Amino acid sequence: MDNIMECRNLVKYYPGCLALNSVSLAVPKGQIVGLLGPNGSGKTTLIKLMNGLLTPTSGEILVNGMKPGVETKRIVSYLPERTYLNDWMDVKTMTDFFGDFYKDFRKDKAYEMLQRLGINPKDRLKTMSKGTKEKVQLILVMSREAELYVLDEPIGGVDPATRDYILNTIISNYSENATVIISTHLISDVEKILDGVIFINKGSIVLTSTVDDIRENEGKSVDALFREVFKC
Amino acid sequence: MLGKLLKYEIKSTARVFLPIYGLIIALALLNKFFIANNTYVYSNSTNKAMQIAATVSMMTYVAFIVALFVVTLVVLIRRFYRNLLGDEGYLSFTLPVSIHSHIDSKLIVTFMWEALSLIVAGFSIFIMTINGNTMQSFSKFCMGISEVYEKYGPLAHQLTAEAIIFVILSMLACILQIYASIVIGSLSGKHKMLASFGVFIGFGIVQQIILSNVYGGRFGKDIMDESFAYFMRTELISMIIFSLVFAAVFYFITDWMLRKKLNIE
Repeated sequence: MDNIMECRNLVKYYPGCLALNSVSLAVPKGQIVGLLGPNGSGKTTLIKLMNGLLTPTSGEILVNGMKPGVETKRIVSYLPERTYLNDWMDVKTMTDFFGDFYKDFRKDKAYEMLQRLGINPKDRLKTMSKGTKEKVQLILVMSREAELYVLDEPIGGVDPATRDYILNTIISNYSENATVIISTHLISDVEKILDGVIFINKGSIVLTSTVDDIRENEGKSVDALFREVFKC
Repeated sequence: MLGKLLKYEIKSTARVFLPIYGLIIALALLNKFFIANNTYVYSNSTNKAMQIAATVSMMTYVAFIVALFVVTLVVLIRRFYRNLLGDEGYLSFTLPVSIHSHIDSKLIVTFMWEALSLIVAGFSIFIMTINGNTMQSFSKFCMGISEVYEKYGPLAHQLTAEAIIFVILSMLACILQIYASIVIGSLSGKHKMLASFGVFIGFGIVQQIILSNVYGGRFGKDIMDESFAYFMRTELISMIIFSLVFAAVFYFITDWMLRKKLNIE
C-alpha cells in the first residue's frame, strides 16, 4: 500500500449543495501535500471525510487502505479549522488527555514546544486568546508520531513570526514515512515546504502535480499558478 | 477505552455536582440545628433574628434541591450536545474510540449522577428529620416491611428486584430518549434546541400510544381474581420489557444517527 489516502468517485451532497463532485485522488506516503482552493471549494468537506466526521454520499475514501474508523483514527493526527479544546481543562490536562487516548503521543515533545512558545501548562484554556489556543492545538497534533497529519488551515489565525515557527515545526516533526496534508489559501507561506499540490474548486479536482513539475513545466511559482487558475 | 472516556466524563461533570452536594448537606445540617433548637416553633421576640435565619436557611435548602435536579438535566443535555455535536465533537469523534463507547460513557455517568443526586437528596432529608420519634416510626416501618417479606417470601423479594430493575431501566430509557432527540433535532439547520424538544415530545406521544394500546382495557379486569402481589409481578415484568425495548430503540437511533448522519457544524 503506497497511498496513505485514496478517494474513488467520492461524492458528498449536502441538502441543496454538491460539496464534492466525483473526486478521485491518491496521496502517496512520505510527502507534504498542499490542498489548495478558494473558500467553499470543498477542502474542509474532503478533510472531514478523511477523518470520519462525515460519511460519503457515494464513492469511497480510504485511509491507509481502510475506511475511516477506529483503526484509521489511531494513525491520523487531525487539526480542524476551529478550536476543539475542552474549555474546562488546563493545558496539562489536555496533554494527559492526548496521552491517554493516542499511543503515539509524545508528552516530552509537547512540553518542549509549549515551553518554546512560552505557554504555561497550568493555564486554563478558557482564559486563552484564540491564537494561543490554536498554538496549543497545533502542538498537541504535531506531538503525535502519526502516519498522516491532516492540517486544516493551520496558520490562518496566527502572526507571521509564529507562522514560520509552525511551518518549521511541521517539517521538523514528521518522519520519513509520514504524510502531511495541509489545506490553506495562504499559498506563498507554505509553498516552500510543499512537495505536491492538489487544486480543488467547486467540489472538483482541478490539478494535481508536484511542485517541481509546476516550476519546470509552467515556469512559475505555485502561488502564481493558483492566481492564474482561480482568476476571478 | 471506555474506562478512559468515563474518567474524563466524570472529571468534567464532578466540578458541577460535588459542590452542590456539599452545599445541600451543609444546609441540611444547618436546618437540623434550627429544628433541634425549636427555632421554628417559639416566636418570642428575642429569637426573631434566629427565626429569620432558620427560614432563610430552609428556603435556600429547598431552592438547592430544586436546582440539583434542574442542573442534572442541564448537564445531561449540555454535555452530550457540546462534547459530541459542538466544536468539541471534532476531538471526540477523531479519538480512536467507537461511537457506542461515547454513548455508553455519557449514559453511565449521567445515570451515576442521577442516582447520586437522589441519594444525596434522601440523605439530606434523613439528616433533618432524624430524632427519637422519627427513628421509632422508621423502625416500625422496617418491621412492617419485614412482615410483608415473611408473609410473601420469595414473591416479595422478586417484586422488590423487579421494581428496582424497572426504575433503573426507565431512567436509562429516559436519558436515551433525550440523546436520540438531541441527535435528530441537530439535523435541522436552525432552531436545533426547539427541534430536539419537538422530537422529544413526539417520542413521548408515540410511547403513550403504544402503551395505551397494549394496556388499554386490561386494568380493572380480572384484578380481583388474583392477589395484588401476583398481579403486580406480571405487570412489572411487562413494564420492564417495555422500558427495555424503548431504551434499545433510542440507543439504536442515537448510535445510527451519529455513525451515518453526523454533521458537526
